Amino acid sequence: MSLNVSLHELYRTSKGVTYQCDLTNRIVLNFADQVMAFRMADFVLFRRKAERVNLHEMIFNLDDEYDFEVLEAPKSNQKLVLTLCDLVQLRDLLAGTQFTLNLNSMLHEVLYTYSY
Amino acid sequence: MKDLQRLRTSLKEEVELALNAQIKMEAEASSKYLAMASWCEVNGFLYSAKYFYKQSEEEREHMLKIFHYLADQGVMAYSPEVGAVPHEYPTFRSVFETALQSEINVTHSINRLVSLCRRVEDYATENFLQWFVKEQVEEEINARRALELFDVIGEEGIGRFTIDRNVYKITKLEVE
Repeated sequence: MSLNVSLHELYRTSKGVTYQCDLTNRIVLNFADQVMAFRMADFVLFRRKAERVNLHEMIFNLDDEYDFEVLEAPKSNQKLVLTLCDLVQLRDLLAGTQFTLNLNSMLHEVLYTYSY
Repeated sequence: MKDLQRLRTSLKEEVELALNAQIKMEAEASSKYLAMASWCEVNGFLYSAKYFYKQSEEEREHMLKIFHYLADQGVMAYSPEVGAVPHEYPTFRSVFETALQSEINVTHSINRLVSLCRRVEDYATENFLQWFVKEQVEEEINARRALELFDVIGEEGIGRFTIDRNVYKITKLEVE
């Protein structure tokens, strides 16, 4: 079986792309020249981390430490150093990915096709 | 394409978040009861203090019940941050009034959770929550009964002393 068969594109923006790997049950995120792979639970944690960052603070606080945000990916020892624009773009990508995952889950539910 | 969400859990994310919020509410209720117990103890109402210590433990048990349910469902339960709770009460009676209001708030929150479960067709969680629905009826009865003691005994003379001695009978607690 070719590896490509198990990779499904979930969402794509001009700044990044996410895939689902059915062999490893991982979500692969390619963003800012970094590739990260998450288990579903870790993907949810990472998305929530990105959503919790206070954008208003980044915009209005002139202190240097608010110029960027470091987001650590769970269990992968990888970090993303993000500016305000990066963060907005990452959120967009993660939200789009979550939407596709939800949609796929709904389709499985209505079609009764839970697969492993 | 596999359904990765289903591999993780059948719990919907909004239910997961709402249950985590309920964990926080139960932890806050536990903390409030502890403060009430402290107030009663330093003001000489030892039976009432015992009653509130017991209530505090119960609220923590409720919190853990939800905690374990979330873990059983394969999702993370978050240990909640509990902020400062009031430690000052103007009167002995106001402590019990606050307790009843707190129980009513928890009941409303549980009801909203049940409504959410019905909306997203999560019948397993709704079934789990039925224990809390029943428990809240009992909690409210106890809190209301405590306030009734103020009405039937009265606070004049040795009234407050008598009320305190009778509070423990609500849940048949013993004081050493």
